[in-house]
Amino acid sequence: MLPDLMASQLSFAGFAWKNLWRRRLRTLLTLVGITMGIGAFVALVGFSRAFEHEWLHMYTSSGIDIAVVQTNLLNSSLDESFGAKIRALPDVAQVAPMIFNLMDLTPEVNALVYGWRADSYELDSLTLISGHRYQEGRAEVLLGDLLASNLNKKPGDTVSIQGTNFTVTGIYHSGTALEDGAVIMPLDQMQIVAGMEGKVTAFHVKLRPAPAGVPQDEYTTQAAAQIEAVVPGARAVPAAERAANNQIVNLAHAIAWGTSAIALLIGILGIANTMAMSVFERTREIGILRALGWKSRHVILLILTEATALGLAGGLIGIGAGWAALRLLSALPQTASIVSSSVSPFHLLESLGIAIASGIAAGAYPAWRGARLSPVEALRYE
Amino acid sequence: MSSPIGAGGPILEARSLVKSYDEGRVEALRGVDVCIGAGEYVAISGPSGSGKSTLLHLLGGLDTATEGEVLFKGAELGTTVDLDTYRSRQVGFIFQAFYLLPTLRAVENVQVAMLAMNQGSNHRAERARALLEEMGLSHRMRHYPNELSGGERQRVAIARALANDPTILLADEPTGNLDSANSAHILEILQSIRERRGMTLIVVTHENEIASSARRHICMRDGRIES
Repeated sequence: MLPDLMASQLSFAGFAWKNLWRRRLRTLLTLVGITMGIGAFVALVGFSRAFEHEWLHMYTSSGIDIAVVQTNLLNSSLDESFGAKIRALPDVAQVAPMIFNLMDLTPEVNALVYGWRADSYELDSLTLISGHRYQEGRAEVLLGDLLASNLNKKPGDTVSIQGTNFTVTGIYHSGTALEDGAVIMPLDQMQIVAGMEGKVTAFHVKLRPAPAGVPQDEYTTQAAAQIEAVVPGARAVPAAERAANNQIVNLAHAIAWGTSAIALLIGILGIANTMAMSVFERTREIGILRALGWKSRHVILLILTEATALGLAGGLIGIGAGWAALRLLSALPQTASIVSSSVSPFHLLESLGIAIASGIAAGAYPAWRGARLSPVEALRYE
Repeated sequence: MSSPIGAGGPILEARSLVKSYDEGRVEALRGVDVCIGAGEYVAISGPSGSGKSTLLHLLGGLDTATEGEVLFKGAELGTTVDLDTYRSRQVGFIFQAFYLLPTLRAVENVQVAMLAMNQGSNHRAERARALLEEMGLSHRMRHYPNELSGGERQRVAIARALANDPTILLADEPTGNLDSANSAHILEILQSIRERRGMTLIVVTHENEIASSARRHICMRDGRIES
């Protein structure tokens, strides 16, 4: 008797589900739309945030306090000679001039390439797995273990970069995809390869310990101001800010949010169209429900439940799809050096929240329209 | 004015009802006064376009009058009495075309009327099953409307109209889509329900047999009560 009774029960959610299931193909196509929107959001925004996180990790693990770059330029270029001026400042402990660029190593694989001096303190944060460091003036490189694995290289092998053969002297591990998927070569070699003789992209500055009683932030800000005073046209940026607010990360964020917003908008319009069509087709049914005593708010609740269910289902599938896309990108040789597959729980919850909000927003107008129908007019509707 | 007959006192009263459409160019009701007693069985008949269905819609709170007022137990519908609440708690509708929802089984169609009320799902399901059993449809509960005959569909619709235990049952041509045997059966059910539950039954019909079965017969023509 009890199972029979339960099988006979109709809940509000069950009614909404039957309405969606009634037009299976349309429901499925709507789900594809919102899935793509949320999937794009999870993958692209997840990527850009992970990218920012990797930058921050890279700076903090190397002990960099301040990055000195050229003001307002995407491709920063500073005179290498400025390094001595920065080093002479009283609060500065070490200065590492560097160049970085994204370069093709093979037709399929591109990677970040760093030019560091052989005595750069940044090399100290890397764990050498095999081989040894390079020497200045030689066509030698260190490979991150992720990149070495993708290229199937070991110490003693050579890699061709911009037409020049470099000998791999060692394989290292750092813990960030931005370095583990990268190439590091002597600064002088990188200047030749990049066509930047006498120039660098940035100076990474390590400060002396802050004097007792002086807050670290204040100390760093003061040091940055001193650096900017001695290096004309340069911007001295605290490392955390540089990680979160550099042109590359900002560009990644802008592309990710822009593309996701467009995909989400298409998904929202899909749900709105489906619900508007559904309300139009069910005009008489809404009249019947009103005749049976349903209030306007019940009609609104039904339509919003259907729209929200579409958003929620599309969101869950989209999160799965976006995560899968991130994992795939992080495994591909072409993108492994800049894509991390890690996604924060906050990002997943945020994605789900956006999916549900999308459903509600998309269902709002059709729900309002359905609730405004006059019962008797709706019943007369053919 | 058509006077109340019911022994239980007036339950519905229409005063000077006017309903016009198309900015007053079409008048469906032209000053209708009617008083219906609690527990009465009233048949409203008249030719097409006479305004009988319009009157039923106004008495059932499905529509509002252009002029005049409808009183339920002395309280004006649409002002003192909220129309949605009135429809959900006091009125059960039965239509000529049944108006069952095609995606729902018979037992679910009956529960739809109760979804707007604060009742537990077990209660809803139990009540729907009991009502369908009362309608002689215990073997058809899990059938969809398209798997039922016309008479069975109308019995499901009657069960649905009774779901919230209304005090007034309004039927708009309830046998209009049925053969004579099913018509007689439905009429019998409606009369039986009224007698057992003491409900007020108002039936719009163009069939003389139904009209003559009612204790009170209102004839309409051109938006007015003729007799």
